[in-house]
Amino acid sequence: MVKVYSINNCPWCDKVKKYLKSRQVDYVECNIEESEAFLAECQALTNDEAVPVVTVDGKEYVLGFDKGKLDALLGL
Amino acid sequence: MSVYDFSAKTNSGEEKSLKDYAGKVLLIVNTASKCGFTPQYKELQELYDKYQDKGLEILGFPCNQFGAQEPGSNSEVQQFCRRNYGVSFQIFEKGDVRGETAQPLFKYLTAEKGFKGFDKEHELSAILMDALKKHYPEYLEDEGIKWNFTKFLIDREGNVVERYEPTTSPSAMSEAIEKLL
Repeated sequence: MVKVYSINNCPWCDKVKKYLKSRQVDYVECNIEESEAFLAECQALTNDEAVPVVTVDGKEYVLGFDKGKLDALLGL
Repeated sequence: MSVYDFSAKTNSGEEKSLKDYAGKVLLIVNTASKCGFTPQYKELQELYDKYQDKGLEILGFPCNQFGAQEPGSNSEVQQFCRRNYGVSFQIFEKGDVRGETAQPLFKYLTAEKGFKGFDKEHELSAILMDALKKHYPEYLEDEGIKWNFTKFLIDREGNVVERYEPTTSPSAMSEAIEKLL
């Protein structure tokens, strides 16, 4: 399952989500401003609170809107 | 009248009177978004780390009146946003800082200390002038806030001592702060 950690009013999160949609990648959005649980997950994964963070397995992740890295992570 | 006559909501929604800061030296700053390249946050945090124990408080007021494009920023450099601002000083709720809709505190601050021009030596000065002339020419015609990271230094009695434009780096303000501490 692809997870996208996000916050509100985050243009880079919007870009990532739009890009995933355009590549027909199903994802679950995890807003770390609205859920303490998602925040804890994201902090554990990245040791930071910067988003968007995309992960498939909860180990490897991509921070920010970087198409090249997203393609590599998701095997696109 | 002094800054202690004003109050504002913190970013966690709590109403805070500036009276709570009586006796402290204050740096009141209109800050930018959580995204984009905003190096002054880091320098402000450095000032805070250095002088907090001696009585400095920094109050950040986020505002998005100055366009999505921040001058001097390369949006390609940092393509992410942060949940927090990466700072430990107090951040208030997002609000306007210039024009009719400005928060009363900022109307007061800009009436106390008007615009005296940018520091032309600063790398941001020319970029900022261009951006203002192009997108917000009317901003140049009054005493209001010109852009993100305009800083007001307040003494321990609540008087507005100095105004620093975005073209003054926080690190260059150490001496003025030390004088008041």
